Amino acid sequence: MRALQFERNVPRFAAARVASVLAGSGKGVRVGPLELVEVDPLEIPGPGWVRVRPRLAGICGSDLATLDGRSSRYFEQIVSFPFIPGHEVVGDVEGGALDGRRAVIEPVLGCEARGIDPPCPGCAAGRKGSCERIAFGHLSPGLQTGYCRDTGGGWSTGFVAHQSQLHAVPDDFSDEAAVMVEPAACAVHAVCACKIAGGERVLVLGAGTIGLCVIAALRALCLPGVLVAVAKHPTQRRLARDLGADQVVRPGEHKRAARRLSGSLALESSDGGIERLTGGVDLVMDCVGSSDSLQQSFDVVRPGGRIVLVGMPGVVKADLAPLWQREIELRGAYAYGSEDRPEGPRSTFQLAFELVRGARLERLVSARYPLEHYEDAVAHAAAAGRRGAVKIVFDMRKRGSGLDASSTVRPRRPDSAGTTKEAK
Amino acid sequence: MTRHVGGAPAAGREGLRFVAENPTRPGGVVAPLARHKLGVDYDTAWARRYPVRLARAVVLDDFTRPVLRVALSPRVIGLEHLAPVQGPMVLAANHASHLDTALLLSMLPPRLRHRTIVAAAADYFFDRQWKAVVWSFGLGAIPMERSKVNRRSADLAARLINDGWSLIIFPEGGRTTDGWGREFKGGASYLAKRCCVPVIPVHIRGTRAVLAKSSSRFRLGSTEIRFGDALTPDQGEDARKFVARIELAVAALADEAESDWWSARRRAAAGTTPPFRGPEASAWRREWALPDSARKDQHVVRERGKHKPWTRDD
Amino acid sequence: MSPRPGFVLEVDRSTPATLIWHGEGFRLERLPVGSRVVYGPEPLAPLANSDQAIRHALDNPLGDSKPLRALLYPGMRLTIAFDDISLPLPPMRPPDVRQRVIEAVLDLAADSGVDDVVLIAALALHRRMTDPELRHALGDRVFEAFAPHGLLLQHDAEDPQNLIHLGFTDHGEDVEINRRAAESDLLIYVNINLSAMDGGHKSVATGLASYRSLKHHHNVRSMMNSHSFMDMHHSELHSSNWRMGRLIAESGVKLFQIETTLNTDTFPEQLGFLQKREWEWSLRDRASFLATSSALERMPGELSRRIFHAVRAPHDLTSVQAGAVEAVHESTLANLYRQQLVEVSGQTDVLTMGLPYIGPYNVNSTMNPILVACLGLGYFFNLYRGKPLVREGGVVIISHPTPWEFNPVHHPSYIDFFEQVLAETTDMFEIEAKYEESYATDPWYVHLYRTSYAYHGVHPLYMWYWCAHALQHLGRVIVVGGDRAAVHRLGFSSASTFADALELAEDVVGRDPTITHLHVPSLLMADVT
Repeated sequence: MRALQFERNVPRFAAARVASVLAGSGKGVRVGPLELVEVDPLEIPGPGWVRVRPRLAGICGSDLATLDGRSSRYFEQIVSFPFIPGHEVVGDVEGGALDGRRAVIEPVLGCEARGIDPPCPGCAAGRKGSCERIAFGHLSPGLQTGYCRDTGGGWSTGFVAHQSQLHAVPDDFSDEAAVMVEPAACAVHAVCACKIAGGERVLVLGAGTIGLCVIAALRALCLPGVLVAVAKHPTQRRLARDLGADQVVRPGEHKRAARRLSGSLALESSDGGIERLTGGVDLVMDCVGSSDSLQQSFDVVRPGGRIVLVGMPGVVKADLAPLWQREIELRGAYAYGSEDRPEGPRSTFQLAFELVRGARLERLVSARYPLEHYEDAVAHAAAAGRRGAVKIVFDMRKRGSGLDASSTVRPRRPDSAGTTKEAK
Repeated sequence: MTRHVGGAPAAGREGLRFVAENPTRPGGVVAPLARHKLGVDYDTAWARRYPVRLARAVVLDDFTRPVLRVALSPRVIGLEHLAPVQGPMVLAANHASHLDTALLLSMLPPRLRHRTIVAAAADYFFDRQWKAVVWSFGLGAIPMERSKVNRRSADLAARLINDGWSLIIFPEGGRTTDGWGREFKGGASYLAKRCCVPVIPVHIRGTRAVLAKSSSRFRLGSTEIRFGDALTPDQGEDARKFVARIELAVAALADEAESDWWSARRRAAAGTTPPFRGPEASAWRREWALPDSARKDQHVVRERGKHKPWTRDD
Repeated sequence: MSPRPGFVLEVDRSTPATLIWHGEGFRLERLPVGSRVVYGPEPLAPLANSDQAIRHALDNPLGDSKPLRALLYPGMRLTIAFDDISLPLPPMRPPDVRQRVIEAVLDLAADSGVDDVVLIAALALHRRMTDPELRHALGDRVFEAFAPHGLLLQHDAEDPQNLIHLGFTDHGEDVEINRRAAESDLLIYVNINLSAMDGGHKSVATGLASYRSLKHHHNVRSMMNSHSFMDMHHSELHSSNWRMGRLIAESGVKLFQIETTLNTDTFPEQLGFLQKREWEWSLRDRASFLATSSALERMPGELSRRIFHAVRAPHDLTSVQAGAVEAVHESTLANLYRQQLVEVSGQTDVLTMGLPYIGPYNVNSTMNPILVACLGLGYFFNLYRGKPLVREGGVVIISHPTPWEFNPVHHPSYIDFFEQVLAETTDMFEIEAKYEESYATDPWYVHLYRTSYAYHGVHPLYMWYWCAHALQHLGRVIVVGGDRAAVHRLGFSSASTFADALELAEDVVGRDPTITHLHVPSLLMADVT
């Protein structure tokens, strides 16, 4: 079995960090601890586990942070090395109730998958993302499939999953649509978790995969009064608008846009520009998770407003004076489980399936790479916005694929129909 | 660190600190307020000691006077009125600018220049130690209460006049805010009567355009100092009537400065001298009626090229 | 030699290259043989003694007005309103006309013992003037007499306490103007009539009005029905203002109108070549053109802007008239036409124009893209009487760098309008319906308009409406040498050279189009037959 494996190798980890800082995100992979290896198939960890052969597996922002060596050290105790990344996966199931069908995995490794009974309060309540046992049970530590030594991950030709993690993919779903279900579920959860009242003014910072999914989810599940997206690149701007943003502005224009929308007053900087708003929008969905984006969120959120961190943050430097003085709520939104909807509790993944279908999120899949070209794939993913792309995936559908076998996927010229032409 | 139970300081560094630092005050003891004698109570006697007078004379003659000559190009008119007066006198002038005092003092004839003191507002020029020192040294200023009658300051001025010092006083009690004169207060006439010395009316023109009150810009300009005939109180004339006469004399000098001596004299004789305090009208009309020389922030419109400098026709 | 009238030059092989403004710079361009260039008349000789002329006008008013002297009496409330920073262009050398006129008026008022006098800058929705700007317009003497006492005011269209609603015109238009002006015993309005649009009833009905009142004529429909707004007899903008002006008079507001016209002596001697005909450039003109244009090319933009905005025009007074509004305005227009009118026979397929660094709304400020559009399509396009210079469906080629730059202090709402509205749509009716109200009532813009030096929130929309007639009439607008992104945002086409622009124009108007170039300066008005 072929897989991209991430080892615990401190010098290479450091080298990846240095390279990503010097040469830019995604450049760390060449010197980092990720390697394409031939490994023995994984053992089935216990009852209820089945094998899955991935068809498509996405490269997520959190994967990039890991490869660049810039993810938070917070995760050290809740991952186990060596692991095979890849948690946005659609694959063929071998065995169990879904034998022979395509399924999407819900990667969180909660109590059920870990064989822990009775489950922790989070899992008992259906909130798998809040599981308190992610480092315990019969599995090695690992918050999700793709970060756990024992399960493998999507960036491979095979891994194992617990049946409770599997969601069957309807036949009319393409693989591309299915691989978008996991990121869509993150967005659905973030949007449902912050309980948006109708008519609220919402600003979405960042228009990568998560940002765009959040925009689509806001449109589909809430009734925001006005939805403004901050997007840097032309493709992102076009998609943000298509997915339902009322207004799309460039970074740097967000203060003016938020001010216009909320009719707020503003404090001026010395050059006559706007330093920060005195009022602002009701809710900021920060889909970036950097110090800058947090600062921008504080600049435009109204007193008593909310900031939701959807993008994975690391160590950020923030001035919390506004948080205190303006009684701003800052919260995170991670993973999935079940959501309280007006029609009753719903599984996040089921809502995500509906969202992907309704918003045609498969169009966010911009390019497919075979595992062998992982360096190019990661570089493309790291520069996705700039290169007019959104989601980059690994394509394992050609079995035993090598350079020679991948007739449809040419090296260095990824299939990126519809995204090569950048909108003006 | 060793503590000396007996409280006796050791030699060396600790001893030095003991010497250098004030002892701390016990909590139960209230500190008396430090008392500086400032304002009217400031004692200026030191500034009239001979060595200080000599130093002031050097500064006045070799610095203040030449600088003001260049910066303000003063024209002095009517010095002949000072010549007949023997002994000390009271010089009563209008007041438009901080420059007035230095200008008037430094343009007096040498006989008077080094034997003249200036009545200066106690609340403005003597409210800080350094200011009190600067003004009593530089201009021979003595503190004068302007808001109320103060026995001490009047006594001091009278004593100094009797000692042979002349006194510069601005009877308006402050600089003009709008360019027009203000009512003369009684100090000048009171001192003249008490000490039996004449009052010389003085008109200073042009200093407002150079540096007006509440203006931060200093512009070079030209000025005029005009001395009038010495006035002495008539038999039986009370101080109030006398001060009105002084004000009228200054008004006549102002008229002369804006027109000419002869027409001013005729208007004075006919009692039609333009009022010193300006027309009784709204603020803009008072401003509008100001002569150019009394206007502040006066720009000289400079034009280049073929265009002639703009002057108002007529 | 008396000044020569304007004329239309036909370009032949021996015509030297034509001077074309390009923002804070200019260049020489050879126009195709057969093109026409419209030159305005040379500057008229100024009045020999302007102060005397002003006094004469005040004593001998036009229409059914008594001499000013007879209208002044002690104890009255007198208000003097004057045009703001947008006039004249560029700002004139001191003394400004407003200073001369207002000093003459105040001399009379002082003689008559009028105590209660207030001066009001008639800003309408323009930005407030800074103290140095007011001082420049009014002179030191007036400024010192009024400003320190709080008697020099700037009209505030957002101050409900100081506005008064006088009623509705027979077309249902609100008339709401400055309360102090309306409640005075006499209102004197001091105009500078730089273009035919200015003055008349528009002075008070626009300059001292509120947004509620202005929106009745500052809207897309009015602008589309103003052919052109420089010609009051065919301008809906003016018809509405005239209705309002008459209502103001009927409500008992006593108005004494003073209008002045200037000659087109626009640039000081160092830049004299800018207003000379190219074939008459002397050695000195050629040398200073070369020196100036190459210096401008090398210096940073900020510096060249500073230099240009420091230019003071040697404009001089050619006429002054005072009295009843309509009689005065008629005489003003006659004097204005004497200086500006040029007869042009026949329309053209392509109209070209070079836009200078300054327009009415960026004095001491930045010419942002919206103002570029407004100056070209609003002002220059409308400098006609009769028919537009360019035929319907024709093309206008504008030369201006059109930088994506805004002055955040003066034009805060312009930034938002450009970034957020024009990115969405350029359709005037849609903009008017969807955005006007929120821009007009945005509390931040209102705050900046009232307390800082910002144009009103709705002003950028008005500037966009100003282009309505042109955009409806034209087939295409091409900007030469502009910032591509900014030009695209405006909905225009960009071209890097004049030749390319002409090629683009041919797509719209066909092969071998007729080309006419509007040679500004000097300011002119084409009488197209």
